[in-house]
Amino acid sequence: EEAVGDEDGGYEYGKEDFAEHACRYCGVSNPACVVRCNVPSCRKWFCNSRGNTSGSHIVNHLVRAKHKEVCLHKDSPLGETILECYNCGCRNVFLLGFISAKTESVVVLLCREPCLNVNALKDMNWDLSQWCPLIDDRCFLQWLVKIPSEKEQLRARQISAQQINKVEELWKTNPDASLEDLEKPGVDDEPQPVALKYEDAYQYQNVFAPLIKLEADYDKMMKESQSKDNVTVRWDIGLNKKRIAYFVFPKEDNELRLVPGDELRLRYSGDAAHPAWQAVGHVIKLTAQEEVALELRASQGVPVDVNHGFSVDFVWKSTSFDRMQGAMKTFAVDETSVSGYIYHHLLGHEVEVQMVRNTLPRRFGAPGLPELNASQVFAVKSVLQKPISLIQGPPGTGKTVTSAAIVYHMAKQGQGQVLVCAPSNVAVDQLAEKISATGLKVVRLCAKSREAVSSPVEHLTLHYQVQHLDTSEKSELHKLQQLKDEQGELSSSDEKKYKALKRATEREISQSADVICCTCVGAGDPRLSNFRFRQVLIDESTQATEPECLIPLVLGVKQVVLVGDHCQLGPVIMCKKAARAGLAQSLFERLILLGVKPIRLQVQYRMHPCLSEFPSNSFYEGTLQNGVTINERQSSGIDFPWPVPNRPMFFYVQMGQEEISASGTSYLNRTEAANVEKIVTTFLRSGVVPSQIGVITPYEGQRAYIVNYMSRNGALRQQLYKEIEVASVDSFQGREKDYIILSCVRSNEHQGIGFLNDPRRLNVALTRARYGIVILGNPKVLSKQALWNGLLTHYKEHECLVEGPLNNLKQSMVQFQKPKKIYN
Amino acid sequence: DDEVHVRQKVAELNPLEVASFDQELRAVVQESMEQRKLELRGRPTLNMMIPMNVFEGSIKDHHGRVVGGESGDEALDEEAGGSREVQVKVLVKRGNKQQTKQMYIPRDCTLVQSTKQKEAAEFEE
Ligand SMILES: [Zn+2]
Ligand SMILES: [Zn+2]
Ligand SMILES: [Zn+2]
Repeated sequence: EEAVGDEDGGYEYGKEDFAEHACRYCGVSNPACVVRCNVPSCRKWFCNSRGNTSGSHIVNHLVRAKHKEVCLHKDSPLGETILECYNCGCRNVFLLGFISAKTESVVVLLCREPCLNVNALKDMNWDLSQWCPLIDDRCFLQWLVKIPSEKEQLRARQISAQQINKVEELWKTNPDASLEDLEKPGVDDEPQPVALKYEDAYQYQNVFAPLIKLEADYDKMMKESQSKDNVTVRWDIGLNKKRIAYFVFPKEDNELRLVPGDELRLRYSGDAAHPAWQAVGHVIKLTAQEEVALELRASQGVPVDVNHGFSVDFVWKSTSFDRMQGAMKTFAVDETSVSGYIYHHLLGHEVEVQMVRNTLPRRFGAPGLPELNASQVFAVKSVLQKPISLIQGPPGTGKTVTSAAIVYHMAKQGQGQVLVCAPSNVAVDQLAEKISATGLKVVRLCAKSREAVSSPVEHLTLHYQVQHLDTSEKSELHKLQQLKDEQGELSSSDEKKYKALKRATEREISQSADVICCTCVGAGDPRLSNFRFRQVLIDESTQATEPECLIPLVLGVKQVVLVGDHCQLGPVIMCKKAARAGLAQSLFERLILLGVKPIRLQVQYRMHPCLSEFPSNSFYEGTLQNGVTINERQSSGIDFPWPVPNRPMFFYVQMGQEEISASGTSYLNRTEAANVEKIVTTFLRSGVVPSQIGVITPYEGQRAYIVNYMSRNGALRQQLYKEIEVASVDSFQGREKDYIILSCVRSNEHQGIGFLNDPRRLNVALTRARYGIVILGNPKVLSKQALWNGLLTHYKEHECLVEGPLNNLKQSMVQFQKPKKIYN
Repeated sequence: DDEVHVRQKVAELNPLEVASFDQELRAVVQESMEQRKLELRGRPTLNMMIPMNVFEGSIKDHHGRVVGGESGDEALDEEAGGSREVQVKVLVKRGNKQQTKQMYIPRDCTLVQSTKQKEAAEFEE
């Protein structure tokens, strides 16, 4: 997830594409195909296609609404023209028709009653017998108002006769209502669930827009309720001379997780010596001590001699949600947003298979990258030939390298710049680094609110490249930048000049890149709004919601590669209603359900072969091969009491009770925490360094408790424990450590196992370690679930299910329960 | 080059739906007619101001060749690939001003067919 500031400056997503004269039923907006209803209270536009109804849209409207006058579009062949009888001015289209002069190529509109029957007319040179009605076969004359092409009709909203009747009914009381209003669920209604297939992009939008709205509302409510008073602040000054406030913002075990780039407001209510003060800033860092570093936007009047009594509020931003909504709208109304093939495929229409006609490279690896293995080569090769492909990368199978190789070859095909995205900044940085290693020119576009956040690929970021562009023309920009940094602000004319220069420089640098890398939400940045990308690769796509994935796609995509692993955790949806309706299902997963076969990378280079055995069999049908040998994962010189030598794993039987944490929303387990400390200490004593160890647990309550417990009760130097990363399982997805300690927490025989129930979470937990893993949990409780039962049996069979003190581990004879449910 | 072949479901029209729509459409036409008859007591007058210059020139096809009219050489036209459309002048009123606009209409439209038949008949005479 990512935080973005209010940098869009009133940019309205998707709005600019919407034509005022689009057919109100189906969205077709070709001026030659539409007419406007000329009734003053209506004035809506409709097209002359029949779609799924017997009459054309305009005729449907006129009949249903009992409206009878129309006007042609100004860009139609006749120009802006109200259709009326040439003789009497009657505008009732149901009475109008054309007649032609007997010998000449001149035609006029004439009404049937009475002008067609005027005797005087018969004496003139007009052929009254061949009166040709304006509305024929429930359609306007096609040469006057064109029928949209088949392609236009396919991309349009597929409106049904029932929907037409419903919306016409709605318009009688609310003339401005849209078709979306028809589908809108009431406040208390359950939202419409996601579907496998959609009639059109409008229906797609109708389903997803309310879900995104629900999630946005929930996010706002939750974040804005996080205010805290009596905060103690420590002041500092950053390299850019901006004020930085350090303080602890409550985190304990609540749902809110700050990320760099988030915006907070710091307030001081004032005292005898200081006036009241407040300022907004961006989080630039979260220290290991759980301290927040907030860079303030303005430096004036900061009460730097005060340290106590501050208040902190979260400043919620709608930017990321706005961009998702905008992408869906663009997808619907802008025909050029994605290719026809991708449009129909994403909506689940049956499309004839298409191959991309590109010459394949002779070798599929890329300079600067490790050699590819067979399954990676196969993935690169097939991806380059298909307009839509899915790559499944189980843990440690080198999906970043594979993705980088794909991007390398795409960029060499000369179809313009390649766009590379992922939902998280960490993943984007990793990929940017690998792609840059191939020698391609990479620009990493960061949200403006994250420009002060340190990044491992800083030299690739757009803001860094703008600052360090070394040409004489840019000296003006540098001068202004320096002035701005020193003074905090510029005169309005200088500010204008500065902004224009900066924008031009940004554009120049971005345009010269081979590859642009940004988060999915970042692809909606206004700085990219005029860019077009035919080829898009999205990494970690199984961790993004569909609308999030859509943001990078609607910039003109013709070839898309989604990389991910649907056997690991999906996107985090906070709002239960939205999650229940299916917002947590990624596009990757839906495409699988639609029959797209993911290409699986099959060789893992992370885990000791003993550690990969169970995940391979349980989650990947046994297809995961080991690219590392037992010898390469032997921890030589480490004296740790593994129950079976050469099998660096064990399940440590725990019977301690679970407790509900102080916040009431999470769990902790004191016995497990105490034993985690003992295991950590044993690792440290045996020669393992803190950075090699990761402690993971599904519960935020336990995470906080372990951090606290170790720093207070650790047998060794406190600092050593502070350096050990303790994290939630979910936040550890995509990462690895040499040694992993997993604390399961749940141990109530009468309740379920909550978070642990999700097989994808177990998969993530089991696949983080390279050299060894220790699992702490209660087998009696866990064995009720089939997958955990399988895991426990696996450990037992290998004599790795143990109990007793660490220096004297004995095989456990604990009885398992019968599993209740079968997964898969 | 964005060719895409979508296997479309054949849109099945609900016959009841079609019948009901037809009925409504007929009702609107009928109602319009009756309304007109009520509105217009007494004889309507003829008020067609036709600017004389519109009758200069004849029906042309897409290539600007004259069809019918003086040459009337239709065979030539068919041989040349046969444009299926003919050009007409549509006469419209903007306020009190008359305007003509060039339009293409299908050759098989009753409007021009009759014109052409007449022309052919006249030509034979
Ligand atoms: Zn209307
Ligand atoms: Zn329409
Ligand atoms: Zn009339």
